[in-house]
Amino acid sequence: MNEPSPIVLVVDDEVQIRRFLRTGFELNGFVVHEAATGAEAIRSATLRPIDIAIVDLGLPDMDGAEVVERIRSWSSMPIIVLSVRSSEAQKVHLLELGADDYVVKPFGMAELLARVRVALRRQSRAASGEPIVKVGPLTIDLSARAVMLNGSRLNLTPKEYRLLQVLAQHAGNVVTHQHLLKEVWGSIHVHDTHYLRIFVRKLRQKIEPHPDSPRILVTELGVGYRLAQSGQEGEGAASWAGASAPAKADG
Amino acid sequence: MMDPHRMIIRLGIGAGMAKALRFETLRDELRGIALTFGLVAATTAVIYAIIIWIGLTRGSVLYLIPVLIASIRWGIVPALFAAVCGVIASAFFFFPPLYSFEIRDPQEVINLALYILTAVVVSQLAGRLKRQLELSRQREIDLAELYAFSRRLAVAFDVSDIHSAIEDHLAAVIQRKVLLFAGAREATSSGRRDSAAVPEGVQKVVNEVAAGRREASAGMTVSGEGGDAWLVRPVSSKSPELGVIAINFGRESGESFDEMRVRVDNVLVDATATLERLGVAHAISEARMRAQTDQLREALIGSVSHELRTPLASILGAATVLSAAPALRDEKKLQALVHDVRDEAERLNNDIQNLLDATRISSDGVKPHAEWADPGDIINSALDRCRRRLADRKMVLNLPSDLPLIHVDPVLVQQALVQIFDNAVKYSPAGSQIALAARARDGRLIVSVTDEGAGLTSAEQAQIWHRFARGERHAATTSGSGLGLWIANAFIAANGGKMHAMSDGPGRGTTVSIEIPVTQAAVPQLESDADE
Repeated sequence: MNEPSPIVLVVDDEVQIRRFLRTGFELNGFVVHEAATGAEAIRSATLRPIDIAIVDLGLPDMDGAEVVERIRSWSSMPIIVLSVRSSEAQKVHLLELGADDYVVKPFGMAELLARVRVALRRQSRAASGEPIVKVGPLTIDLSARAVMLNGSRLNLTPKEYRLLQVLAQHAGNVVTHQHLLKEVWGSIHVHDTHYLRIFVRKLRQKIEPHPDSPRILVTELGVGYRLAQSGQEGEGAASWAGASAPAKADG
Repeated sequence: MMDPHRMIIRLGIGAGMAKALRFETLRDELRGIALTFGLVAATTAVIYAIIIWIGLTRGSVLYLIPVLIASIRWGIVPALFAAVCGVIASAFFFFPPLYSFEIRDPQEVINLALYILTAVVVSQLAGRLKRQLELSRQREIDLAELYAFSRRLAVAFDVSDIHSAIEDHLAAVIQRKVLLFAGAREATSSGRRDSAAVPEGVQKVVNEVAAGRREASAGMTVSGEGGDAWLVRPVSSKSPELGVIAINFGRESGESFDEMRVRVDNVLVDATATLERLGVAHAISEARMRAQTDQLREALIGSVSHELRTPLASILGAATVLSAAPALRDEKKLQALVHDVRDEAERLNNDIQNLLDATRISSDGVKPHAEWADPGDIINSALDRCRRRLADRKMVLNLPSDLPLIHVDPVLVQQALVQIFDNAVKYSPAGSQIALAARARDGRLIVSVTDEGAGLTSAEQAQIWHRFARGERHAATTSGSGLGLWIANAFIAANGGKMHAMSDGPGRGTTVSIEIPVTQAAVPQLESDADE
């Protein structure tokens, strides 16, 4: 793989955070640019080619949400937000503003790297027009509108397929309830979360090897759903599936 | 919340009522007179009947009956009226010359004197009896009030409860506007709002008495604007903590004022006796101190936790970079050290999160953002959060796939579950089993987590829901703040649910369960609607 090193812009006012992020990213083959303020971040993003931005929400000169909004106004680069506040409403707001994903502080480097890789992969897939999304045993062919589990074709209802399609378009990244409801049922149903619950349950029966401990269509409580990608599964989700599934006592 | 300078206005019978009272007395009097007149007329008819049918000639003594009735029932004025009416009627109807008011017989004069004497004596006696009756009835009411008062004190939760109980009690018994001023030294912002309720002059005296600059243990009278008289005195001369009261006596003067004053004294003697018996004064000063300490503690915990979290993000992040660094990949011992740093930082982060949650619960309360949620999602996400902590326990799941949706804040319920898992891990040995079972029954969703750990003594069972509750058996061996289950309980309660803990005894495991109401009927039309 002789791909050029991806360039990451790290926006955080705390030097210690920037330092460990720089080291972490460099050890994993990234080129790192740093910015300590929102203004600096925006300047940096306009002047240099950046592949992905990591934006802290508590910046001294402006709210991180504003940085996300400003960058998003002219660039489609993936943005991952670092949040200390674990308020779900705020996460949803940031995602609606155009952030691709979020990581709650304190976080581990592996967690952030997984999110970053997913976002980069999605970006390159969108750029190349690649129609096939693979999640573990599940294959979604967006051009042929076909869904395969372990090679055999699944029979999905139109709404189930639409749901899976929206998730696959953002594969690996979290998609908010509101977005899913709007895309699948129309904007008058954006608050009917129960539609989503019922359909996700049905969809999981069809696509998950263990529907009761889902590993493919993952819930982000209070925010939305994500289609897990291999980068995220590997870290521990898989070990969980192994630990809990055999012990499961049905009934 | 605590509001040391609170003043609650209780309106009893105000000044304007005095006039109304006088009017009422007049009406009663007139009613008595009218009824008396009827009685005399009836008596006349009866005497007539007796004369015609039996042939008696001297029936006029029967006029004593209306006199007696009137004096007992309606007092002296109707009684005298009955006496005079009786004599006039007998003069008119029964004494010659008949049908004329002329009085010839000296018997009639004697009758008149006799009736009047009867009227005066009997109405006096009846009046005294009535007053005694009223007094004892009032006493009974006072006692009932006092009893209600002491009952209210017994359940009083904080100082302001006690103060409003004192105020209500006085207002109910004295039937006047009563204001209680407590902790006048703190009379700054919060007190202002109510200051309009008392005239300035009265407020000044109240402040002086409260600050101990003026001696007024027997009470002093201050006249406010509009000529209203106010009585200002400390509730108790022995315990200044109980505050100072101001009572609006209206424009009453002289005798009735003194009467009221005596009454206030009596009520306060009773009330303070009750307060002293319950040790309220001591409790108040203690509670006030505790409230201030609590506030300080909340503020401190809030800001300290926030400050602590910021460096933790760098520590944890740096540790994870180190643990994956190529230079350390083959250094097993160093790796272990780095993992320790990471794990301990994570633990510290959890503790700080608990403190933040606790301050959030006690300062603003929990405000759930309810949505329709799948219980399975909540449980899985809680398990995911505890993945590393649960790694060396045998996890057994019993999670039916047809659990009903619940309308809750999923994040709060998840956090409560995380606390339960945390506790289960903390108090059970490595390798033991932790079982989670979820089921819907009787309109409730029940999620229970059973461990094979230390269990609970009956004493522990009673106190595990308390804030900072730590089992004495584990204080030395297991770390923790004693906040976990308290937080879990607050989060579940905010979602309309309940928590229970059961244990067969020490060393025999614990089952902690969450119970959340399921309003299945309220789930708006589902499948047919959503999938066309």
